Amino acid sequence: MTDFYQTGIITTLHSLGKPSLERLESELTDFSKTRPIALVLPALYSEFEGPAMPGIVRELAKVRYLNEIVLVLDKASEKQFQGVRDFMSPIATPVRIIHNDGKRITEIYETLSRNGLDVGQRGKGRSAWLAYGYVLARERSEVIALHDCDIVNYSREMLARLCYPVANSNLDYVFCKGFYSRVTNKMHGRVTRLLVTPLVRALQQLIGQHRFLAFLDSFRYPLSGEFCMTIDVARVNRIPWDWGLEVGSLAEVYRNYSPRRVCQVDIAATYEHKHQELSAEDPEKGLMKMTIDICKSIFRTLASEGVVFSEGLFKSLSVAYLRLAEDTILKYEADASINGLEFDRHEEAKAVEAFTRAITQASKLFMENPMGTPLIPNWNRVTSAIPDILEMLKKAVDADNT
Amino acid sequence: MTDFLNLILEPLQELFLRFKAFLPNLLAMLVIVIAGILLARLLRAVFVRFLKAINFDSWSDRMGMTTLLRKGDLWAKPALALGAIVFWALVIVVLMTGLSALKISAIDQLVAQFFMYLPRVFSAVLILIVGYVLAGFISRAMLIAAVNSGFHYAKLLAEAIRLLLTVLILAMVLEQLQVAPGIVLAAFSIIFGGIVAALAISFGVGGIEAAKRMIERETVEKRANGAKDDIEHI
Repeated sequence: MTDFYQTGIITTLHSLGKPSLERLESELTDFSKTRPIALVLPALYSEFEGPAMPGIVRELAKVRYLNEIVLVLDKASEKQFQGVRDFMSPIATPVRIIHNDGKRITEIYETLSRNGLDVGQRGKGRSAWLAYGYVLARERSEVIALHDCDIVNYSREMLARLCYPVANSNLDYVFCKGFYSRVTNKMHGRVTRLLVTPLVRALQQLIGQHRFLAFLDSFRYPLSGEFCMTIDVARVNRIPWDWGLEVGSLAEVYRNYSPRRVCQVDIAATYEHKHQELSAEDPEKGLMKMTIDICKSIFRTLASEGVVFSEGLFKSLSVAYLRLAEDTILKYEADASINGLEFDRHEEAKAVEAFTRAITQASKLFMENPMGTPLIPNWNRVTSAIPDILEMLKKAVDADNT
Repeated sequence: MTDFLNLILEPLQELFLRFKAFLPNLLAMLVIVIAGILLARLLRAVFVRFLKAINFDSWSDRMGMTTLLRKGDLWAKPALALGAIVFWALVIVVLMTGLSALKISAIDQLVAQFFMYLPRVFSAVLILIVGYVLAGFISRAMLIAAVNSGFHYAKLLAEAIRLLLTVLILAMVLEQLQVAPGIVLAAFSIIFGGIVAALAISFGVGGIEAAKRMIERETVEKRANGAKDDIEHI
């Protein structure tokens, strides 16, 4: 159980007392009559061979308030696609599977490409974006929830808590981000703990109070992959297709909506999923690639807000970040100590050193090309270029699923 | 015995002579068909390259032609699909030309009929393409106009107009192809007339009160204007 303290400029919905799942689901069933809910699941085929997916399907089979489930299946052959259809069959809610490698969806991507719409490389960002398009094309849901498919300790309470703030029209939230503690016998979530938070605070030190930094700092877990939003957010938001997906999505929400209509919700006491390798020496792999993309995304957003970056600022940033991150390690060491958790200070320090190098690398890349990775255009932009694209997408997915 | 053998050999000899006379025709047909198919393949390649050069695929995406293919569950690129249509049309023409080389009167008649029918097919295809683009354009223009004027059922109206135009275009195409023209004309008249009658009745009956109010308002205004004229101003 957490405290009830409100931090930052967005609303934080805590897990207080013992909230009843039955009550939540019952209310969600009522809300879904006026605001039908779609669940988007971006998944790799390999995740169906792992330990997480059977548990997720088992839990989703018990959920009654969802209007539709859209699973975007990546890196799967035709046979594997059919296998996944069977795998998802225990779920009573209508499930549509978007076969990313199927000939119809491939042709959709080619249609976009030949009309000058760059939707980037394959990945969670592009999969999520395509799923939003399909939900928009179906015109049957008003709320979209999204979570990853590698959650080992998944429970339907996570989904209920994630959907509740947006599905409940009395609360008037358009975007809700999930948060949780990533603790087993030790603390995980290195990128959030040791990179994002110290980096944002270092930037605040250098450039002063900035509303976007305050917005980003308000999130307890800005890199969590679980969120829920209204269909309008899905229509107008652009999505980065690289690892800057989470931060970039928050930047788009910040750009398009007031923080008053954004919240974060405690969805789980603990959360266990796959852990990325640090790969400190290779900036093209693992956490280093993720870190560079996240930094670039933050820099790009701030630059678009009018912040002027110079080489001097970046040099000071590296130093300020390092100092703050080192202080943060001490805080987490104390936190681990009082809770009896394992804490490898050397590993944490090595991670901070790697992240410092990543910030330097991201600064260099940003100075060379400030535009960086383009965002995937929003669906309003896409339909203005190809008016029938949503109809085509709907036809492609429906044909694949029959 | 010799007579008996002659009885057997004569028809065979006759058959052989006929086949000998027919063989050059058959060879001519095979040459026409093979050369024609090769030429058709070449033309398809050139045609597809030309379509790609003029960005036909992109134009087709924006004009809604690609959607038409997708609705028929055809997922090839529009240029390739059109190339395939041209190829198979050429193959049919080549086959017909090849068959005419056989110099068989029944086939000759069939070939003549086929070539006489070709202009109708071309004009039908043209009507279909132009009609589809036009229907899409009018429907979209109607959608924009209705949305801008705050009409609640704008999408429904636009779709209804697209449907009506599609029915009209299909009737025109079938009439052009001379496919049961009497039935097509009657069916079209019944469907189109029925829709118009239904609209007239629904708007007519539903709009009695509105029309009455409009007429009354008009009359009242006229009276008021008439009364105003009688007032003398200083």
